[in-house]
Amino acid sequence: MPARFAGVNLFVMSLELRLALIFGVIALATAAGLIWRARTGRAKLVSSGEVIDLAEIGATKDGQPVTSFGSKVTFLQFSTEICSQCRQTARLFHELEQTTPDVLHIEVDITHRMELAKKFHIMQTPTTLVLDKRGRVTSRIGGVARPQTIADELGSFSI
Amino acid sequence: MTTATKTPAQIDPRGPRFGAVITSTLLLITIFLALDAATLSAATGLFVAIWLLFAIGAIFGNSKHPYGLIFKKFVRPRLAAPKELEDPRPPQFAQAVGLFVVTVGLVLAIFAVPFAVTIAAAAAFIAAFLNAAFNFCLGCQMYLGFQRIGIIRK
Repeated sequence: MPARFAGVNLFVMSLELRLALIFGVIALATAAGLIWRARTGRAKLVSSGEVIDLAEIGATKDGQPVTSFGSKVTFLQFSTEICSQCRQTARLFHELEQTTPDVLHIEVDITHRMELAKKFHIMQTPTTLVLDKRGRVTSRIGGVARPQTIADELGSFSI
Repeated sequence: MTTATKTPAQIDPRGPRFGAVITSTLLLITIFLALDAATLSAATGLFVAIWLLFAIGAIFGNSKHPYGLIFKKFVRPRLAAPKELEDPRPPQFAQAVGLFVVTVGLVLAIFAVPFAVTIAAAAAFIAAFLNAAFNFCLGCQMYLGFQRIGIIRK
């Protein structure tokens, strides 16, 4: 007997089919989560050769404008006010900077600077650009950078 | 979302995640009930209750939400101090995204669109489950995207 709800004929599903669909939805969500987990915090190579203009992005450090890049590598981290993982990432890079002299960490708050988000296609924060000594973007890390990713990046600059 | 001149009090990020565990369970029950015509009205009723819970979360934030209160009173005292506190605005925005999805599902159900409740509940479930199981807040991620296209003004 076809059941009706609000004038529409509906399928009457067996318990097995309903359970199968439930497990299908859980499997789909799990797959999406695993893909996200596998990708987040890893570096992707950037080959556009784009060079960062420190004045344009308004980079400051301890209240002073940043005018030069790290002597070997710069981690340019884009953050927002509302992002808790940004602080975690900033602390990680700050510690790195203290112990490794050739490294510079710059954090730029894009909360009120959506033009930068558009320009650099930032869809999540933190997003970190890895720059060489001339400020050329070599890779990009979306999400909280993994310690191994940071170590690999340092290795690629022979640090 | 209007311009915030002061930063709201930070919250324990495990609070919204605890809520997401309950929300995803309720949504899963909703999907199960909505798949059979005999229990569709029960599913719709449960979905209305979930709508109400999302509305509380979206308007008042996690700290005033029933799940937030349960977390604060019964769960948090049993946990170690959080490593990191977080801004309450993205999880609150995520509740608004959940509210939107559930509203669309309920409106379509009123117009008797087949499987409206099922599909909307499945979409909301995926987001809540990602938050509960993977600590990935889809709604929070969308915050920046919406801000970029100018829906949220800062």
